[in-house]
Amino acid sequence: MNVSKRYVTWFILLVVTAVSAMAIGQDQAAAEAKQRELLAVLQSNAPKAEKAIPCKQLAIYGTAEAVPTLMSLLADEELASWARIALEAIPGPAADEALREAMGTLQGRLLVGTINSIGVRRDARAVDGLVQKLNDADADVASAAAVALGHIGGDRAAAALTQALAKAPAAVRSAVAEGAILCAEGYMAQGKAAEAVKLYDAVRGADLPDQRHLEAIRGAILARGSGGIGLLTEQLRSDDKDRVGIGLRTARELPGRNVTEALVAEMDRLSPQKRSLLLLALSDRKDEAVRPAVLKAAQGGPNALRITAIGILIRLGDASCIPTLLQAATEGDVDLGRAAQETLVRLPGKDVDADLAARLPQARGKLRQVLIELASQREIQQSLPTIVSSMEDDDPAVRAAAVQAVGVLGRDRQHVAELTRLVQKTAASSERAAIEKALLAVTGRVGAPAVSYLMPLTKSSDRSLQITGLRTLAVVGGSEALDAVKAAIAGDEGDVQDEAVRILSTWPNRWPDDADAGEALLRLTRSGGKMSHQVLALRGYLQHIRGNKGLSNDQKLARIVELRPQIQRPEEERLAIAVLGEAPTAGALELLTTLAQDAAVAEEAYSAIVTVAAADVPGLSGPQRRRALQTVLDKSANNGTKRRAQEALKKVQ
Amino acid sequence: MKSVTTKARTRLPNETIGPGRRQFLKTAMKAGALLALPQVIPGSALGKAGSVAPSERIILGAIGIGGRGRYVLSCFLQDPDLHCVAVCDVRGDNRQRAKAMVDDRYGNQDCATYIDLREILARRDIDAVLIATGPNWHATASIMAARAGKDVYCEKPCTKNIAQSLALADVFRRTGRVFQAGTQRRSLPNFAYAVELAHSGRLGQLQTLHAHPGGLGTSMSGWLPTEPAPARDQADWDLYLGPAAWRPYNRRLLDGFNFEKGGGMTGGGCLEWGSHCVDLCQWANQADDTAPIEYEPVNGQLHARYANGVKLVMRNDGWLPLGSCPVRFEGTTGWVETGDDAEFGASSPDLLTRRGAKIPGYPADFHVRDFVDCVRTRAQTRANADCACWAHIACHAANIALYLNRKVTFDPKTCEFVGDEQANRLRSEALREPWRI
Repeated sequence: MNVSKRYVTWFILLVVTAVSAMAIGQDQAAAEAKQRELLAVLQSNAPKAEKAIPCKQLAIYGTAEAVPTLMSLLADEELASWARIALEAIPGPAADEALREAMGTLQGRLLVGTINSIGVRRDARAVDGLVQKLNDADADVASAAAVALGHIGGDRAAAALTQALAKAPAAVRSAVAEGAILCAEGYMAQGKAAEAVKLYDAVRGADLPDQRHLEAIRGAILARGSGGIGLLTEQLRSDDKDRVGIGLRTARELPGRNVTEALVAEMDRLSPQKRSLLLLALSDRKDEAVRPAVLKAAQGGPNALRITAIGILIRLGDASCIPTLLQAATEGDVDLGRAAQETLVRLPGKDVDADLAARLPQARGKLRQVLIELASQREIQQSLPTIVSSMEDDDPAVRAAAVQAVGVLGRDRQHVAELTRLVQKTAASSERAAIEKALLAVTGRVGAPAVSYLMPLTKSSDRSLQITGLRTLAVVGGSEALDAVKAAIAGDEGDVQDEAVRILSTWPNRWPDDADAGEALLRLTRSGGKMSHQVLALRGYLQHIRGNKGLSNDQKLARIVELRPQIQRPEEERLAIAVLGEAPTAGALELLTTLAQDAAVAEEAYSAIVTVAAADVPGLSGPQRRRALQTVLDKSANNGTKRRAQEALKKVQ
Repeated sequence: MKSVTTKARTRLPNETIGPGRRQFLKTAMKAGALLALPQVIPGSALGKAGSVAPSERIILGAIGIGGRGRYVLSCFLQDPDLHCVAVCDVRGDNRQRAKAMVDDRYGNQDCATYIDLREILARRDIDAVLIATGPNWHATASIMAARAGKDVYCEKPCTKNIAQSLALADVFRRTGRVFQAGTQRRSLPNFAYAVELAHSGRLGQLQTLHAHPGGLGTSMSGWLPTEPAPARDQADWDLYLGPAAWRPYNRRLLDGFNFEKGGGMTGGGCLEWGSHCVDLCQWANQADDTAPIEYEPVNGQLHARYANGVKLVMRNDGWLPLGSCPVRFEGTTGWVETGDDAEFGASSPDLLTRRGAKIPGYPADFHVRDFVDCVRTRAQTRANADCACWAHIACHAANIALYLNRKVTFDPKTCEFVGDEQANRLRSEALREPWRI
């Protein structure tokens, strides 16, 4: 960097610093002004309602200057807590001194609140005063003091709390223990485990509610580190469910390989149910040393324990667990098999995929079925050739698994060809349905190249195969597929014709050549051989208009007007309303107003009217829009629609 | 990048995915479907599914049982190995409705009713409590319950500020009690699946997370005009206020949602919805033990950034057509989005072939089941106090940035805003006497 550049850099830094300092100065001046404004309210004769929020805002803007005013509110039952919001937040000794002073003058609930705030601020200079309050006749005050001492911590607080554990009245003792445990946590944070242990043990030995004992047990175990293993296993062996519970929680927390090993060793001493629970706890330790114990439990013993262990292997297992899991998956027990298969699906790693794929070619029967299902669920593409050949396995369960798996994994025209061939040589309707399902899925992925394989199905003498062909062609769309559907509609085979009409009525509207479906549907609305065909075609046509981006709003309206004589039932009226609501024009509003006269669809029409009238549509005047919205407000029973109408009305000029 | 959605006719009517294609997608997705949730613990291992003696049943009390509370309670009541014995609410109408519901379930008149939560917490026979009061009480009541030796299922938002979030996690760690935040989307397969895609690397390296806590902004309920207070058995106003700063009775405030959402200075949609959708983003980013380090209001949104570089965008309105509480996770190679209608949008259909069962409508049943399981196993729930703590901290920090209307920088290690006294002062708020956390 040359000299001139360095000067420029320094100059920029200087300017930035100066601007920042000015900004900070401005911020500070603004904060001080805000504080003065807030204090003026608090010092005035304003009603309390006007003083509450300023107290709260002083939590942000208050300084030592605000403390005396806030302190004067600590004796006010209604404003004391508002004042403490600010006093707890204002940094510096002034607020601490104010709270300590208030501790000497207040009583009852207000004193409790003040002591709580001292505890939150961890004011070490308040310890002597708080120790005195430990002996207060008011149990709530003494309890608050004990907890505040716990928050502040230190040797003086710890000694006072330890003493109080023995002599405090029962109503206060639980809070004293709470304070002692907080103190112990403070010691732990400072690395003073020995001091913490003393406090925890003192609580364990005192006459207290069970929960305080449980907390002390947990603390005593953790503070002792590895030395706490004995106390931990003592809890696990207990007959008391709360002791076992705290043992299980602590078993998850206490670190160390030797702890893991001790807990694994403990497994054999426990009942099967406790072993399940401990196994779950062990699995949360994220220690690989647990895996052999889990694997052992998965291999044999009570089913409940095996299932728990198998579930844990999702997190702890690897490829080495596969034999155990496959054994459990194929044993014949439904629950065990389900659990094992779920774990095998979720076991992470490409090496797991490779292992499973390598086992498939040699596998037979149930194992082959399971491996195919796993390949499908794990999407193991390398197993696909074996799976395709398994679609003609002698075992029906294997065949079914293979067909389903090809549906998931297949993405090649060759798979369409295989499935097409298979469906033609399969007689059982249930198997045909499964093959059709797979064919639909694979065809969806393959797209147009699948058409040449599917067309022969539509020309089959087997009507069921014709229907399968039409359904799968519909997934692809396009002109060739559409022609096949139209030909089926023109044919004379009732069930094929019915299905073709249904397919046409839900034809995709994706490609330019799919637009021809609209014309075919329109023709069918008038010339359909059956009433049901005309109805389906009408509904399909209305859907088609709705999604056709090639039509303008006016053109959509014109089509609806043209069809109006046929739109008589509520179902079709609703579809027409949906089209009109999304194609706002003056004519649409008029037609919607007419449709709203039919009580069966009135609410749908009102909702669409609001949408249209809220839009700024050419040819639709302000008065027309307001009139329509007012009609909705007057007649709609739907609060949501009325609310939208009200909002729209406010905006219409 | 080609995208796909499983939502029928949402983005544009009748385009991209026609009915036939929709059917195909459904077929493809059912094939190989996988429940994308953590391990299911066998009932027999937990002594449930009717296999336990009545003396071993989990005994439940319910605190705060308005509309939402009664819904979650109904999920608890389905469990044959759990028995609800008492309900508590400061409102008489809520108490009576909940009692009728419980008594109807068991065919008796045994359900006890309480106005004061301290009385129900003092019952030694009660193992666990459902807390569904207004947000004002959630943290304080949960902490009191844990100290009283109860496991807790608590509705969200669980805390009013950062200090309460930390205290909640501390207390549940200290007491060894089980806590489940009522963020039930953690137990629903569509959200779990989207998270699994993020965790498994199938989206590439995670880059941006989108949450939709509609109603971003701050709210501050104040001191409404005094109205004559009802009799205590109708509504105990002092207990209703509980830890909140005092104000006179006004019936408009007698609704948890209108009363100091999130704590007065902060609140609004950021907590109401963020406790769900920001929580899901935290989960996706494997950030259950931390929170973003920067928060900045940008054009009505809140942009945050994690230490690992992942960006979190909290949107306010107008976005995904996937039902309420939508989230979107974007990585370097793909994206996925889902919401309460349990449908998906994704950059590629291949991402969705292993999605789990479709369960729309954000039911709480599965989440309640997870809680009940963990009461028995003492394991951490899916929305335990630690992950709830950090998700709420992220929401509170965002709210503080919104309230101050400027960027704030947060240090998750110290839980302090860096060099920012104003922001730091908003981390906590004094409780009204005699309550403490």
